[in-house]
Amino acid sequence: MWRYTLKRLIQGIITVWFIATATFLAMHAVPGDPMSGDRAVSAEIRKNLEAKYGLDKPLSQQYVIYLGNLARGDFGISFTQQNREVNDIIREHFPVSATLGILAIVFASLGGILWGALTALYRNKLPDIVIMFFVILGISVPSFVFAAVGQLALVKLNDLLGFSLLPVAGWGTVSHMLVPSLVLGLGTMAYLTRLMRSSMLEIINSDYLRTARAKGLPATRIFTRHQLRNAILPVVTVLGPSIAGITTGSFVVESVFAIPGLGRYFVQAVQQLDYTVIMGTTVFFGSFLVLMVIIVDLLYGFIDPRVRLA
Amino acid sequence: MTTVQPQDIAAGPPLLEVDDLRVEFDTYGGSVKAVRGVSFSVAAGKTLAIVGESGCGKSVTVQTLMGLTPMPPGRITSGRARLRGVDILGRTEIGGREIRGREIGMIFQDPMTSLNPTMTIGRQIAETLEVHRGWSRKRALDRAVELLDMARIPEAAQRANQYPFEFSGGMLQRAMIAVAIACEPAILIADEPTTALDVTIQAQVLDLLSDLQRDIGTAIILITHDLGVVARMADDVVVMYAGQVAEQGSVEDVFYRSAHPYMLGLRAAMPSNSSDRRHRLLPIEGSPPDLFSPPTGCAYAARCPHAMRICSTTDPGAFSLGGGHTARCWLHGDKAPRVPQLAYAGAAPGLKA
Amino acid sequence: MTPSNPNLETTIDDFAPLAAEQRRQQLSRPSLSYWQDAWIRLRANRRAILSLYIVIALLLFTLLGPLLWRVDPSAQDLDQVSRPPGAERMITLAAPYRSWNGEAVLPTATGLRLAYPASTQSVRLIWDPAPGAAAYRVYRNIVPTLPGESLGLPIAQTLTGTETRYEDRLDLRAETYFYTVVALDETGAELTARQALSVDPVAVITVAEARSRGLQSASGPLKIGDKVRFKLHPLGTDYLGRDMLARLMHGARVSLFIGIVAPLLFVGFGVAYGSMAGFLGGRVDQIMMRFADFVIALPFLLFMILFKIAFGIGPGQSGILPMIVALVMLSWPGTARLVRGQILQVREEGYVNAARLLGARTNYLVMRHMIPNTMGVILVTLTFAVPSAIFTEAFLSFIGMGVAPPTPSWGGMSNEGIKSMLIHPHELLFPAVLISITVLAFNLLGDGLRDALDAKMRSRE
Repeated sequence: MWRYTLKRLIQGIITVWFIATATFLAMHAVPGDPMSGDRAVSAEIRKNLEAKYGLDKPLSQQYVIYLGNLARGDFGISFTQQNREVNDIIREHFPVSATLGILAIVFASLGGILWGALTALYRNKLPDIVIMFFVILGISVPSFVFAAVGQLALVKLNDLLGFSLLPVAGWGTVSHMLVPSLVLGLGTMAYLTRLMRSSMLEIINSDYLRTARAKGLPATRIFTRHQLRNAILPVVTVLGPSIAGITTGSFVVESVFAIPGLGRYFVQAVQQLDYTVIMGTTVFFGSFLVLMVIIVDLLYGFIDPRVRLA
Repeated sequence: MTTVQPQDIAAGPPLLEVDDLRVEFDTYGGSVKAVRGVSFSVAAGKTLAIVGESGCGKSVTVQTLMGLTPMPPGRITSGRARLRGVDILGRTEIGGREIRGREIGMIFQDPMTSLNPTMTIGRQIAETLEVHRGWSRKRALDRAVELLDMARIPEAAQRANQYPFEFSGGMLQRAMIAVAIACEPAILIADEPTTALDVTIQAQVLDLLSDLQRDIGTAIILITHDLGVVARMADDVVVMYAGQVAEQGSVEDVFYRSAHPYMLGLRAAMPSNSSDRRHRLLPIEGSPPDLFSPPTGCAYAARCPHAMRICSTTDPGAFSLGGGHTARCWLHGDKAPRVPQLAYAGAAPGLKA
Repeated sequence: MTPSNPNLETTIDDFAPLAAEQRRQQLSRPSLSYWQDAWIRLRANRRAILSLYIVIALLLFTLLGPLLWRVDPSAQDLDQVSRPPGAERMITLAAPYRSWNGEAVLPTATGLRLAYPASTQSVRLIWDPAPGAAAYRVYRNIVPTLPGESLGLPIAQTLTGTETRYEDRLDLRAETYFYTVVALDETGAELTARQALSVDPVAVITVAEARSRGLQSASGPLKIGDKVRFKLHPLGTDYLGRDMLARLMHGARVSLFIGIVAPLLFVGFGVAYGSMAGFLGGRVDQIMMRFADFVIALPFLLFMILFKIAFGIGPGQSGILPMIVALVMLSWPGTARLVRGQILQVREEGYVNAARLLGARTNYLVMRHMIPNTMGVILVTLTFAVPSAIFTEAFLSFIGMGVAPPTPSWGGMSNEGIKSMLIHPHELLFPAVLISITVLAFNLLGDGLRDALDAKMRSRE
């Protein structure tokens, strides 16, 4: 297990290095090289950038400086805001995104497991048909539409009630978090429901479930001890990649609901072409996702004995 | 192997009686008549072998008895199966006693996939005892270790805490047997228990089954397509072809006084120990009929070397040869020509093969 | 001997041997090729067939639509901005604007009230003086004002407490406005006294304006009080007065072009890469697949954004090409992995070894065994790649990194529509529904194809 953990961590570090390098190359391939050009950058910012990135030096040296900064956990400084460090931005905005994301993933996985199990139990009957209709809708509708419809529904609901039940935008209290996290988790929930359903159905036809039936176990026990537990395993394996989906989904949801998260900040940086912030947050998000996938994989080892002991 | 005399079969009420069982499956291409009127009985403590090639309906027959045939698409169109006189078809318990796991245990063909991969072997055995006997977890686990020991698994106490992927195929099948006999069932159904195993392991597993049968007195229904296994294990034999019973009787009758051309064909296709170098294996030409639309006459007519006109038009039904020996073949009709290799009712002791 | 059915009469003739030709078994089912069987299965899947029709309909909408509905998608109709479909196109001809001195033609009432009938030319408000008011502030809201929430846009403030009228001429449309007048004290702080009114201005246009736009009246020359009709926009207009139907059709071109061309390219590249790795095997295979693993590890949408920025969009370019290039660069490894796995698997199959033993050449093996047996998987991947590419385009356009305006794309249109979603939902609704239907249709078609082509995957839904 320790060897496996170490191996995964080393692989992760290599992946992060690959992400960092690709980001560096992509940003320096920008036509006209905005880093050294003078694109509405004030003199002070210019000086900061030069000190930080060695912009006057050749590209290879800039790369070394850049990697050195990253190794120290320094994601750089803003290109448009004076003296603002990307680390500061992350420290300020990431907790908001993380709270939203955790709520969304909890919501998505609980919902996915519940609905998936239900559809498999009622296969081809009314509950299955209704839930699968919504699942297909959930997979086919872009996240920004969910966000917009969610917000519209809130406005209409508040209108109808005549008072503000839940706030339409902003951040701060639990009531601000409910609808955005729900909206953020919907797509993933639909995907997980589908996965859970197919994994449940596969197990229904498995030899070991037939054995469990031949042993004369009660239906509830077969369901909980043999079917559900094994069906959840594939759902756990995709949680890592799902976190990536939720992260990018948060860009949209945070923008629509005016939530001061890192995702919204990232979108703003992209729109303002704040290259250094884009670079920093991309590498940060990338490392975060790599870490999440490793954590989920290690977690999986605790659930599945075949991996734990291998 | 014990020699069973025909009168033994008639004596005493049979433990399990299956009468005219018919099962169909609805598929998108039409309905498949998988089991078409199968009848047999099993006596307490004896071994009944059901023989036949793949797709002849032998597995469907026993899985239906266990209530394991998925319905739909499966459908029982007729028949009865009485355990100690009570019909069990479509039921899972009689008189408050679970049939599955308690009255009838079952072992499957592929031990590698037949056990839950995320539960320890010990727990999977103990579970049956907890459910059927209401034992505590601790007591059931202790018994599970004993059962593994009985199934000749070395270091049973450690093995009980391991997961299926840590076992070899032969060990898994022994563990499966331990699961199936946990509640000392009256009948143990073994559905091709050795097909997926190495030849050397096959013999060990068969020996284990015989020994356990002697120790706990369970009857065994053994599904197989291996005539060698039948000869070694069975008291009585049911030969199935295209969802019907072609021939049935004691193992002596069916092997040495074969009364159906299909059984003759099977014997000719079987390797023997004889030193006669001229003995060649003869395959049965052709393939079994399509069960989407079974033939109106005898299902075997198209492959039978002795087929007559009536065979292609009319189903023969079972001819009784006495002593529980029956054959579904027109050659036993009173106007039919005599085939030298075939045993007939009332005829002198059949020809030894 | 006991016959099973003693009643059955048999003759000696029945027991004559059966002639050989009578023994032949009848085959009750015709034998079908793999593709025939797949097609029958697909046809039996109603959802998949319906999706196929939807896809065909979308293609017709995209290709034939612009030929039938010849409206320039970038032409702005400034008289009809953000019109929902089926909105009133009739407009009344009014006299040219004349200034207002505070007189009222409408019957007097109390509270905030209209002095003249409200039109899009002007809304003339008068209200009752409030005690202690040093001035008044006028708010205009486009949604009903809820207690405790914003009153809307503060559009004016009077100079004195005696001035109790206001004329609103600020960008008026034929929509419902919610006005609130709040009294202010000497320091400019709002007092509690407030009066509210909702107003529905009538759309009007002067004769001169109507002439300049070439509008015709049904009854000869244009005169005041007549009604004239604006141009038809079946699905309404967007925030710049551009025809939604035309934009949706042209946007479909962009979205479907990206959604179909990018998957074709990256699946093609993935197939080439994967089958090369699979065939060559050994070290080359290892190095090639290790590289693919790294590309897969890149966070997809983040790098789409990054690459889009890196490729840049020059002036006058739509940015479609950079998007396709970025999609291909990041999406190929999935297909490559899949195809390589398939090739390795097929290579080890008994029938391939048998063919090789019989002396089949590599070309024959590839054409006869490898390609037909990987074709199904590739086709299914391709079908599922279309909706994900359309999603990607929509997402990027939504955060402003997609196709550059004014080129319409469904994602870009949604992005523009979302800003005024609360007032003009149709601007978001139409492109969003089209994206959803397209993605849905391709997803269901993919499901159907997978079920039809791969028996092993059939239980997975």
